[in-house]
Amino acid sequence: MKNRRPRTSQTLLFLALCLFTAVMLTPVIWAFLTSIKQPIDAFAIPPTLVFLPTLEFHHQVWFEKGFAGFLVNSLIISVSTVLISVSIGTMAAYGLSRMRGRAARGILFGLLSLRMFPHMLLAIPFFMLAKYLNLIDTYPAMILALVAINQPFTIWLMHSFLVDVPTEIDEAASIDGASEWQTFFKVVLPIVRPGLWVTALFSLLLAYNEFLFALVLTGPHTKTLPVAIAEYGGEDLNYWSLSAAAAIGIMIPIMVFMMLMQRHLVRGLAMGAVK
Amino acid sequence: MAVETTMSNTRHEVRTPAAKRRVKAAKGRRLWPFLLPSAIVSFFILIYPLCYALYLSLFSYYLDSGVSNFVGLGNYTDLLGDGRFWSSLQRTLLIVVAAVSLEFCVGLAIAYGLYRLTFGVRTLNLLMFLPHIITPVVAALFLKWIFAGRWGLLDLILGSMGIFSPDWLGDPMWARISVVLADAWQFTPFMILVLYAGLNTVDQSQIEAAQIDGAAGWQILFRIMLPSIRPLIVFVLTMRMMDAFRYFDTIYVLTSGGPGSATETLTMQTYALAFRLFEVGKASALGVLTLVIVLLLAAILIGVVGRSKEKSQ
Repeated sequence: MKNRRPRTSQTLLFLALCLFTAVMLTPVIWAFLTSIKQPIDAFAIPPTLVFLPTLEFHHQVWFEKGFAGFLVNSLIISVSTVLISVSIGTMAAYGLSRMRGRAARGILFGLLSLRMFPHMLLAIPFFMLAKYLNLIDTYPAMILALVAINQPFTIWLMHSFLVDVPTEIDEAASIDGASEWQTFFKVVLPIVRPGLWVTALFSLLLAYNEFLFALVLTGPHTKTLPVAIAEYGGEDLNYWSLSAAAAIGIMIPIMVFMMLMQRHLVRGLAMGAVK
Repeated sequence: MAVETTMSNTRHEVRTPAAKRRVKAAKGRRLWPFLLPSAIVSFFILIYPLCYALYLSLFSYYLDSGVSNFVGLGNYTDLLGDGRFWSSLQRTLLIVVAAVSLEFCVGLAIAYGLYRLTFGVRTLNLLMFLPHIITPVVAALFLKWIFAGRWGLLDLILGSMGIFSPDWLGDPMWARISVVLADAWQFTPFMILVLYAGLNTVDQSQIEAAQIDGAAGWQILFRIMLPSIRPLIVFVLTMRMMDAFRYFDTIYVLTSGGPGSATETLTMQTYALAFRLFEVGKASALGVLTLVIVLLLAAILIGVVGRSKEKSQ
């Protein structure tokens, strides 16, 4: 595809891009180093490169400072969100992908504009309603809020996988006497299973990363990791090693996610995943 | 159509066009139940709260004291007459424009670099992508440990070189720059990924033709490749602009709008109004105004580029 170029210019280009990557990764590496250094090494001037690594802070923040509990909250909330959001979203996406005419396009466009809404405008009524219904600091409030904001994204991404399944397949199934539901569950879903996984993982990431609604809707019993780490903060120097350890821990599942999803990143992102 | 005909012929012997149409129409009706669960959820948890926010914006409602009075459009006229609204709109625009243009320029340069590179592209692409999918709050903390006074990495490095560094997060101007850099750190990878994918879709024969005509690399990029991915560029700029406007997590952690109000964007101001001062009515009105502004800007962005497209045709 691409032309062969002189070796030296390729090497220079490669080095320049490596340099850029290194700059981009510096904050992550610095935080990682902070988390495995004793404070005395972490803040030495100039920064020390030779030191005795320790996992003391990782152990302390997860098991003594309660971050394990926040992880459980985060998991309960994001997994429930994905289960609900992806099942109802996939159904809706299937319906939309098989409809002809203007209605389906109108709905899809409406969903896209909902996705663009400033979340702050939703956070206020969510907070008021949750307060009124006495749902502040409960899992359902947070799960429902996340399902709702995940819907447009889930439907769009699933729709993009479902339109790739030829309608002839459904027609063949319905001629053979399958009902709409049988066609959906037994014929179409198995075909889009990879897409289902991609959508589920992206929704999981979206729910796991969410901050604003968690800040407003959760409390001591349901606090998620992003809220916990933001509160823990980086203010007091004594806590830097601890919060760096927590921050690195929060990031590890995401790195695993990235390895798994590298082929699908563009598609998911174009639909507005992550943030 | 041909495929359909052959399929129905082999599967079923007699199918008149009228019968077929009936099947299709019936099918159209039976699809609605698939939309129902999602529609119910979206109605109760998206549409209804949004309408409620619109309704709230017509009241002077103090959540802590519970005093609520109908003021009509009073909140809106208050905000539009308030200098604080205009200065935070100005700040938001400044931050959004600076961040999005920085991301686009750097993103394009790197994407083009990756496009020209013949080896190691996937690994590099994956590595430089990491900042984008880290939890935003965590990303903001990582940057805080870079910018923090005295013990931050930047100060440690500059200090060891004997350079006296400014207070990155405490000086109004530097705080704004830090916030822009923080946004760029997280979203440039997104630009790179999308633009790189776009550059790879450009028709290879066009590029080869230009090469034969003796066009330089940068001429090919600006004259052929960029115009042919213009729709993608508009899309990605519009998306980024809208997202940057509601940029909250990072500013909240990095500066929480300070020092003073140097980095207080419209979103931060809305948050402060609603959840610090508990003026939920006014905060809702500010949210609605922000939405209107964002929609206007998106329409302008799409309109301007749409028009220049017509001109070029």
